[in-house]
Amino acid sequence: MSSADEIKKLFKEAELSVNSDADEKVFEDMQKAQQKITQRVPAVPDNIRRILMKNPIVKVAVAAVVIIACLTGVFMFDRTSGVALADVLNRIEQISVYMYQMSMSASGQVVAGRPVDQEMNVTILVSHDYDAKMITEMSSPVDGEDIIQEMYMLPKKKTMIMLMPGHKKYVQMDLSDKMIEQTRQQNNDPRFMVQQILECEYESLGFSTIDGIEVEGFRTSDPNYLGGMMGGQVDVKIWVDVVTQLPVQAEMNMQMGEIQMHAVMHDFEWDVTVDAAEFEPVIPEDYKAFTDEPIKVPEFDEQTAIQGLELFAELTGSYPEELNLMNIISKTSKAMGSKLAQDRMQQENQDISEQEMTKELAEKIMPITGLATFYMQLVQNKNDPAYYGEFVTPEDTDQVLMRWKVSENEYRVIFGDLQAETVDSDVLTELESTLPQ
Amino acid sequence: MIEDKLLIFRFKQGRNGALRQIYDKYKIEMLKLAVVLTGDINTAEDIVHDVFVRFALSAQRIGLTGSLRNYLITSVMNRVRNHLRDSNRRRLAGLEGADLLCSSERSPHQWAVLNERLLLLSGALQEMPYEQREVVSLRMELDLPFRMIAKLQGASVNTVKGRYRYAIAKLRSLLDSEVEL
Repeated sequence: MSSADEIKKLFKEAELSVNSDADEKVFEDMQKAQQKITQRVPAVPDNIRRILMKNPIVKVAVAAVVIIACLTGVFMFDRTSGVALADVLNRIEQISVYMYQMSMSASGQVVAGRPVDQEMNVTILVSHDYDAKMITEMSSPVDGEDIIQEMYMLPKKKTMIMLMPGHKKYVQMDLSDKMIEQTRQQNNDPRFMVQQILECEYESLGFSTIDGIEVEGFRTSDPNYLGGMMGGQVDVKIWVDVVTQLPVQAEMNMQMGEIQMHAVMHDFEWDVTVDAAEFEPVIPEDYKAFTDEPIKVPEFDEQTAIQGLELFAELTGSYPEELNLMNIISKTSKAMGSKLAQDRMQQENQDISEQEMTKELAEKIMPITGLATFYMQLVQNKNDPAYYGEFVTPEDTDQVLMRWKVSENEYRVIFGDLQAETVDSDVLTELESTLPQ
Repeated sequence: MIEDKLLIFRFKQGRNGALRQIYDKYKIEMLKLAVVLTGDINTAEDIVHDVFVRFALSAQRIGLTGSLRNYLITSVMNRVRNHLRDSNRRRLAGLEGADLLCSSERSPHQWAVLNERLLLLSGALQEMPYEQREVVSLRMELDLPFRMIAKLQGASVNTVKGRYRYAIAKLRSLLDSEVEL
C-alpha cells in the first residue's frame, strides 16, 4: 500500500459525529436567519409587483420567452446523415435521464426597441419519456430583479406548465395531439442540437481537451441551422467525448436581426437518478393562474400562418419582410409595446385585468410566432417554401405571398389577400414571374 | 448533482425543508474540513456555524449554477484563512500566548464529537505549512481533483501536486510513530 493510500485510509477512519442538542441549536440559528431575510425581502416587493403588473413590455418578453421555449421544442426531424455525429445522437437516445446547464446571454434590441442585455442560466432535466423540466434564472429586463421560472413540459398530460415563484403565478399551455406527438420525438436539448447540425453542413474541429476529457469538436455556420429561423449569422460548436460519444460542451453564437445571442451548454450529467416526482409540478395553493383558461398553443399549419400574417399586418400595417422567428418577435413586441402603452394612456383610469392583458398578448403572439415556426418546418422538411413579404402587401390580392410544395407537381399558395389555393407548378411559375426580381 | 440544484432552487423559494436537507447533507463534511484545517474544535464549530448561518441569509444572492458543495467548501476555507490570519496578527501583537492546539476537551455545548483518529490526524496536520494542509485535506477528505484545488488556491496544478507530495511524506513521517498505518 502506498503512503497516499495509507493516509487516505486514515482520513476515512477519522470520524466526526454531532451532539444533537447543539446541532438543533445551530439549525435554529439558520432558520432565524432565513426568517429574518424572508421578512426583510418579500418575494416580490410591492413596487416591483406594481411595475410588473402594469408593464406591457415585461409581459411581451415573458410571453415571448414562454413561446420560444415551447415552440423550439416541438419539431420533428427524422432524417439523419453523417457518421460520428449520427452515432452521438444514437448514444444520447439510449440515456434515460440526463441534465445539463445552459448559460445564455443576449444583447441588442428586442423588447419594444429597448436595448437588452440579458443573461440567463437554465438547469435542464430531461427524461427518456420526453418529460422535461427547466429551471431558469434571469434578471428582469426592466428593473434587474431576479426572476426564476420553473417549466414543466408534460407530453403525457398534453400540457406545459410554467411556475413563476417570485410572482406566485403560473401559466398553463395546452398542446394539441399533433404537437404532443412532435414533442415526444423532440425536446430543446442536445438531441435537438445534434439533429440540427446533422441537417446542416458541418466540419470537424479536430481533437481537444475539456476538463481533462478528450473531445472531438464539430462546427456549423450554415444559415439553414434551425430551418433558417435565426436569419443571420450562425456559429454552432459541439464537443463530444471521444470515449463515451456523449456531448461535453456546446456553444452557439448567433446574430439574429438586432440581437446577438451566445449560449453555452455545459455540465452534462448522463443517466442521473431522479425521482419521477421531480417531473410533477406542484402548484402552491396561493399561486394564481395568469389566465382563467389554459392558453392553447395553435397547430403550426396553414390556418395559423394566415392568422399570424393577418395579425402582424394589423399591428404593423404590412407583412413581415422575412419569416425568421427572432425578427418577427422583435417587431411584434415593438408594435405591441407601443399599442398597449397607447391603450393604457387612452383608458387611463380603466383597469385592464392582468389576465385580460396576458390573454390578449398570447392570442396575438401565438399565431405570429406560429407563422414563423410553420415556415421553419417547411424549410426543414424541404417543402420548397418561398416567402415574398418584402414585396407583397395586403393590397396585392393576386400576388404570391407565400408558397410551399404539397405534392410532386402541386404547390399551396397564400396570396396577398390571404386567400389560399393549390396550384400546379406551371401556374406557380407564371404567378411568380410577376413578382419583382 | 441534480439533487443539489433542486435543493438550492427550493431553498431560494423558501420551501420548507430545503434548508434542513442542505444542512443535514453537508454539516459533517464541513465540520470535518474545518477541524483538519484549524486543528481546533471550538474554532471549527464557530466557523461552520457562521458559514451555515450566512448561507441561510444568502437565498437572494446564491445562484442556481455552480456547485452547492463547492460553495460551502469555499466558504469554510475563506473563513479558516481569515481566522488564521487574524490569529497570526494577534500572536505577533502578543495578544495570544499559545499556538492553536487540537483539543479533545468537551464542553457541555460541544457540537462536534471527534474520534481518536480524527484527533490524531488533525494534530499532525497542524505540523505542516497551511497550503500543504489545505491540499492534502481537500484531496483526501473531499476527493477534490487537483485542478479544482489549484483553482481554490490560485496556484498551478503542478504547484498543488508538489504540495501534495510534500504533505503526504510529512504526514507519513509524523504519524509513523503514532499509529499503525
